[in-house]
Amino acid sequence: MDILEKLQILGAAAKYDVSCASSGSKRETNYGIGSTFTAGICHSWTDDGRCISLLKILFTNECIFDCAYCVNRKSNDIKRATFTPFEIAELTINFYKRNYIEGLFLSSAIKNSPDWTMEMLYKTVYLLRYKYQFNGYIHVKAIPYASLDLIRKTGFLADRMSVNIELPSEKSLKLLCPNKTKESILKPMEFITKVGEEERNFVSAGQSTQMIIGATDDSDRKIITLSQNLYKKFKLKRVYYSAYTPVNDDPRILKVEKPPLLREHRLYQADWLIRVYNFTADELFEKDENLDLEVDPKVMWALRHLDRFPVEVNRASYEDLIRVPGIGIKSARRIIKNRIFHSLDFDDLKKIGVVLKRAKYFITCNGKTYERHLIDTAPEKIKLQLIEKRVAEQKVHQLSFFDTETFGSVITGEI
Amino acid sequence: MYRVFLYDGTFEGFLTCAERILSVDIDIEKLRIENKSTYQPMFFDTAVFVNANKGISNMLKERIIKKADKNTFKKIYYCFLSEVQNKEMYIYKYIKLVLKQGKKVKYFYHDDVVNFVEKVSKSVSREIGKYMGLMRFNESEDGLLYAQFEPVNDILVPISYFFRGRLANFRWIIHDKKRGKLSFYENGRIRFLKKADLKTAFSNEDLLYQNLWKTYFKTMTIEERKNLKLQRQNMPKKYWKYLTEKK
Ligand code: SF4
Repeated sequence: MDILEKLQILGAAAKYDVSCASSGSKRETNYGIGSTFTAGICHSWTDDGRCISLLKILFTNECIFDCAYCVNRKSNDIKRATFTPFEIAELTINFYKRNYIEGLFLSSAIKNSPDWTMEMLYKTVYLLRYKYQFNGYIHVKAIPYASLDLIRKTGFLADRMSVNIELPSEKSLKLLCPNKTKESILKPMEFITKVGEEERNFVSAGQSTQMIIGATDDSDRKIITLSQNLYKKFKLKRVYYSAYTPVNDDPRILKVEKPPLLREHRLYQADWLIRVYNFTADELFEKDENLDLEVDPKVMWALRHLDRFPVEVNRASYEDLIRVPGIGIKSARRIIKNRIFHSLDFDDLKKIGVVLKRAKYFITCNGKTYERHLIDTAPEKIKLQLIEKRVAEQKVHQLSFFDTETFGSVITGEI
Repeated sequence: MYRVFLYDGTFEGFLTCAERILSVDIDIEKLRIENKSTYQPMFFDTAVFVNANKGISNMLKERIIKKADKNTFKKIYYCFLSEVQNKEMYIYKYIKLVLKQGKKVKYFYHDDVVNFVEKVSKSVSREIGKYMGLMRFNESEDGLLYAQFEPVNDILVPISYFFRGRLANFRWIIHDKKRGKLSFYENGRIRFLKKADLKTAFSNEDLLYQNLWKTYFKTMTIEERKNLKLQRQNMPKKYWKYLTEKK
């Protein structure tokens, strides 16, 4: 099979993997090929508007496992292919020097055995780093059940590693991935965290994970609670959510017509709130429920806690400011810096970047509201005003596929 | 009636000019700073040409960094790389303000001059950021990498320094087709040259990789999520001309 066909098959098989981020690496050397850039760079955008940053491929799509939601599962009759480490190294270097890509994202199905597969991934990265002296970004998947020693060796060569958590609960995992256990996923994850804390130059851009949304009946509360624990316990850099695209007709999977993109978008927003805005999952949710699709999670929270508003912009603490819908981290900081010079009015807020359309229901400036009677409005009425009538499809894509942090003010994801 | 100061079009020349004017304190309403090559003399104006001077321009640079910070200076530089009308006077006023007020000027949202510099430097910085990803190199038979682009702003210098860090082991050329100039990198050194008619013949291997890249690019689209509008928003059509995957 020629390289073109392999690339077709093994690129297509990897495209649902969402973690495109290539940022946060501190790899610094002054020899060899390439560099990593802390802000992350997009090299192209596909027809669906997603950023291409890394050469994202599978080493092989031959699999001994049979996960219900996966195209590559053993029981599917599809074309199979396997790269060699040399082929991947050549592709990476040649794409890199033409500035097509920022680096490599190497994942794989499990061929022969977990150890065989992990060994191949290790060999590929080894070749790139030592023979080709490649300093660009490399993200490698850790294969469940692979020996920790192999994972360790690989981790010293990679910028980032990730183990997919796959599904939001053990119950769902049992149902859809009979070959994988909770331990087979959490053990390598924990191991990577541990070594990362002990050793320098081990996955210096940290660890991430990914889970599938909408293939099972797990609620958003469960999902966000899980993410919160992953951030806390394993110090993960990011959790990625991937709206399930129906590829297999399997009775164990919830019927989905279309990938639940809006839900995915809301989950990223909620994730952002717990990572950056100091919210907790328990604050965001009142019961075992999903996020409101009509308004963003911060608005959802604010409407349930109107007793904490209005917030007086000229006096409120930073913590209270960032909880106001329409005020992001950046504008909150600016408010605090600016009100030292003079007290702020609504015009100033606009210039600072506050989205008054949303914020006006929740703030006062020197005791005054934006328009009269705004503050006493009932939550349902405010909500009616704030419903994002057509959350433009594009916006949905944008937030979910960018590593929002990396693009600073361009796409801040601030809500 | 204006007093017009002319500079040679370079950043150094501009800073030298600015430093000169700062030291004599001229009524800002009666002052203009213009690029010599585009200046059209007006009857009542008095024009003087200020020679670029590395020492003087460096002094001003250091002064700005000391009073504010590196980032503020970078904004000035980026703003200068734009081709917005009348940028010189805005930047001059901005420098004056920075030398008085320091880096806190960035919080002066009311100020037109500050707004201008913030806005323009941001758009230049955004263009540099885009080209970090969207520049495409082709390889010739003897291993020379060649990229061409037509940036809105005059960003050949910063973008070349970026690729020096990235493609240090190769020989390459970046060609600004719009302004007819290029940078040539070899053995750790970049040289900036005026135009040249370049013959561009790609190697067969290069054609193979172009093809592989196009294939990969197509493969990565998820049909269920197709959104051409978003694609164009992130990667406007003006960039497509030199994009391998869009040819
Ligand atoms: S182990 Fe991975 S590649 Fe194999 S079937 Fe499961 S999800 Fe698919």
